[in-house]
Amino acid sequence: MGLLSIYFKSNFLGLLKCLNKLNWFIVFFSLINLSVCIYEDQIGKFDWRQTYVGRIKFSQFDTVSTAKKIIVATEENVLAALNLKTGQVVWRHVFESASTGNIQLLAITDKVVTVSGANPYLVRGWDSATGVLQWEWSLSLENDDQSDFSEWWVQNDLLIHMLPVFGSHLEVSMYHLATGQNRGYTSKLPASWARDSSCVVTPPYYTCISGEKGSQQLISLDVTSQAVQLITRPLSEYVNLETYDGGIRAVDGSSVIPAFTIEDKKIIMIKNNKFEMLTTNVGDASASVALIDIANGPVVLQAWMDDNQGFTMTAHSVATGAELPELRVTDRNLKLPDPEVSSAVCTKSNREQLVCRVLFNCGDDSMHLMQQGGRVLWSREEALANVVAIEFVELPVSDLDAAIESEFDQKEAAKMYSSIWAAFSRRLQTQFTQLQTLIQSIQRGEGLEEDAPSALVRDYFGLHKIIVLVTDVGKIFGMDNLSGAILWQYYEADLDTEGVVVFTRRTARHPPNDAYLTVVGKQEGTGNGLIISLNPITGTLIGERLLKLDVQLLQCTLLHRPDNEKLHALILLDKEENVQVLPRSAAPLVENMFMYVAERNTARVQGYALVFNGQEVEAIRTWLIQLGGAAGARIVRALAKPPAERVHSPGRVLPDRSVLYKYVNPNLVLFVTEGPDPVHKDVVVATCVDAASGAIVAAQVHRRARALPHAVHTEHYLAYLYYNDKHRRTEIATLELYEGKTRWLPAGAAFSSLSSERAPSVERQAFILSAAPTAAATTVTERSLTDKHVLLALSSGAVVEVPWVYLEARRGGSGEEGVVLPAHAPELPLSGDARLNYNRTLARPAAIHAAPAGLESTSLVLTTGLDLFYTRVAPSKTFDLLKDDFDYYLITVVLAGLIVATYSTKYFASRKMLKQAWK
Amino acid sequence: MSQVKSNKKFKWALDFNPKTRTQTTELPSPPGYSQSTNASYTESSRDTDSNLLLIKKLWDVALGPLKQVPMNLFIMYMAGNSISIFPIMMVGMLIVRPVKALFATQSTFKMVEGTQATGQKFVYFIGNIVNILLALYKCQSMGLLPTHSSDWLAFEEPQTRVEHIGGGLSLI
Repeated sequence: MGLLSIYFKSNFLGLLKCLNKLNWFIVFFSLINLSVCIYEDQIGKFDWRQTYVGRIKFSQFDTVSTAKKIIVATEENVLAALNLKTGQVVWRHVFESASTGNIQLLAITDKVVTVSGANPYLVRGWDSATGVLQWEWSLSLENDDQSDFSEWWVQNDLLIHMLPVFGSHLEVSMYHLATGQNRGYTSKLPASWARDSSCVVTPPYYTCISGEKGSQQLISLDVTSQAVQLITRPLSEYVNLETYDGGIRAVDGSSVIPAFTIEDKKIIMIKNNKFEMLTTNVGDASASVALIDIANGPVVLQAWMDDNQGFTMTAHSVATGAELPELRVTDRNLKLPDPEVSSAVCTKSNREQLVCRVLFNCGDDSMHLMQQGGRVLWSREEALANVVAIEFVELPVSDLDAAIESEFDQKEAAKMYSSIWAAFSRRLQTQFTQLQTLIQSIQRGEGLEEDAPSALVRDYFGLHKIIVLVTDVGKIFGMDNLSGAILWQYYEADLDTEGVVVFTRRTARHPPNDAYLTVVGKQEGTGNGLIISLNPITGTLIGERLLKLDVQLLQCTLLHRPDNEKLHALILLDKEENVQVLPRSAAPLVENMFMYVAERNTARVQGYALVFNGQEVEAIRTWLIQLGGAAGARIVRALAKPPAERVHSPGRVLPDRSVLYKYVNPNLVLFVTEGPDPVHKDVVVATCVDAASGAIVAAQVHRRARALPHAVHTEHYLAYLYYNDKHRRTEIATLELYEGKTRWLPAGAAFSSLSSERAPSVERQAFILSAAPTAAATTVTERSLTDKHVLLALSSGAVVEVPWVYLEARRGGSGEEGVVLPAHAPELPLSGDARLNYNRTLARPAAIHAAPAGLESTSLVLTTGLDLFYTRVAPSKTFDLLKDDFDYYLITVVLAGLIVATYSTKYFASRKMLKQAWK
Repeated sequence: MSQVKSNKKFKWALDFNPKTRTQTTELPSPPGYSQSTNASYTESSRDTDSNLLLIKKLWDVALGPLKQVPMNLFIMYMAGNSISIFPIMMVGMLIVRPVKALFATQSTFKMVEGTQATGQKFVYFIGNIVNILLALYKCQSMGLLPTHSSDWLAFEEPQTRVEHIGGGLSLI
């Protein structure tokens, strides 16, 4: 029977076939089988979530309540409270991402007060301990055009709104903070001197530099006072007008003292309705200046970063101009690019010592809380709230494993060991070292167990990887996927990450060569190409290091064939359609290489053939397609297959045991375009183009619909999302391409786009999605044996795993006898069980990235957005791994018991035999 | 009358006073014993009878598998085409038994020598083959034989690619 089952295993489907006659049974069966929920004790075992708030816009120390917090309002429209000791988020409110959620003001009275939105504005009061909304009122301005210039502040329980009308007057309104009650009128203060570019608000003063060049005046006005009282001084009193360039800047931080800097040199304070220039000058042109109130009187705090000197912070007394040495910090090793004092608080401790805490907001979007003495209490890498590109990188094997592997490497072995004896001694050596490490690990295990950091070596199942994240601000992170800890970071201020691409050019599988990762982006300002090559394990620059090109890049790709050092060359196509190959020596390897460049706004796709002509690689234009039909179409998404994709099964088995062969064209690219239509408003067109030959393989039109930039494309199937305007719902359309019941090419033959003349048959279907998706991806496994599931991130904060059978275009279509597919239902089921992040809601999920693990059953998934969420999924369950709760103890006891029972019965049996023999 | 009687030698009569002693040495055969017929008959009949029996018996053995065919057909019909434990066990038996029998052909026909041995073996062999074919037919109708291309799909070589592509939306 055992033999039988081996031979007939391939027809296990037959078993399913007979089962599926009972349709309801199959549905039930599939529900059990496909649910991926976890047990309560598994929470956080395979997954982690990191919550971020984004780059700080406003921050305030909450010194009112007992639990010390920092309240921050961010560029991402998030209001959050951070624990002062650890920096963790205590509570967080995520507002709308559009301008309606923009936070205009953060003030702390007894409540946390925010003004958010853009005409109408919402004024809200929050409880600072719990973050619960206490009151809310809205305010809309009549003058909508000017409302962008609104300034807000809170003074004596009044919300003050000031709207400058440049060249004319200032409109000032005051509202009761909690109720929104107006004082009944809006005062209009004449201010013909107000200019757009040269005015600052330092509550309650409004200060401008006005007048002709050479005779500028510094004019300031207390907008809250009853009487209009202008303070006017000629600017020449403070700066040399010959060199003055118009710079005026309010001081950073939530200062209570109205002050500003002129030309980033002089600090001027308004005191008793008078300008008062401080004796302290600004220490560095890039310095951030803040005025804070401490027990001894106000203090000027300055902080800047110098490439040579490192980080510097100074503090001077406003009254005397003397430096406070206890607050001075100079640290050569501290790297805080463009530090800005976001807020600072100083208190006197019991022993008359100054205890200061300064929150820095840096150019790389990180925030750091620093104590006096320069100790950083905690840092938050808020750049991670805006991840633009992700790459999972394999870890290298340990030195010992590498030695063993090299022993079995055929070429290497042939080189090194000429005789059997050499090989034998080598074997003994490696085993001796293995023994040594074993003994060492035992000894270490006895000593300090928790102290040893997990070494960055590949684990047995290949589950441990490094995630390289490229963020919007230009900071690149290397993150441990198991713990979520940041291993390294690299900040390149010059990197413009729009359309950034990341390539793993060499994995860590090729010792002694290091892993090699390249980030291709643009330079800030010029838009020229910028290439950063680094070792993803350590985060150090290698190879081409930081390469600034002097030309704009059209596209780039990776050469499929590695060179002698196992490095995949980078092929760059620049604006003049010249091709660069990095490294240059790999140019002769370019063969059968094609590229396509799609223009987003014109929906034109240009195909190129890359040809090596003996000296260099040329790009030859081969085809050109105008997509989307009518003029005015634009490409919303262009999606090719993952470059190193494997397709395990060349066909699908039908219920009658015949095979429907898949059309697996590796050069297929899906373009989703959207364009206006005279009859149907908007039309979404999905086109499958063979990027090598330019042939259109399949196309699909949706009328009265708007395209969404979410699509998946693997093997022979594609799915993309669009918004159906007619029915006002999101739908997911799937396409499956098949060759038919006979295959076009023999098994194992090479597929060539240029020589294939037949068109595949296309199966289509669309399903209703009862949620608003924000990202889509498919699971990826090492050998593609495992089922593929589609992962959808929803705006509700869930990441849902949808088995492909539910998206199957053939589902319920032909009504064949005994189909192993669930019955057709127009709506796609998104069950709660299928939710990967159970109750951990994600704020604004923006992208999903899946990568294979070493285990065939498992796929690693990272969701980015405001939060980062990492988990692993097993679409076909963990068939190659023992269950997480496998009872090793029980099985050991049972085994031991059985062995004992066997031997004892043997003994008793022999005794009985002996007795019988004597009878 | 008695004289006549005594002279006449009866089959079932014993004469304890023979007149002549010439025949004393040779004792008459016991009554009911016929030496000539008996000897010739017993010798020849034992020999031919056992041989015939053996041949008959062996033919029985040789025809056994063929006789099983209707029974097997009935079992197959009753088992049905669904795949569950009992039909699978039955099909397993159907296929394993004739195969076993085929391997045991030599031992089954060990003592046989003679003209009909080859024929018997041949019939026996044919019978088992018929049974195996029946079992295979059953497997086929149950869908257990890897006869379709779909059964070998997993072992097929994946296709390779000639062209390689790269690109995407314009970076400018």
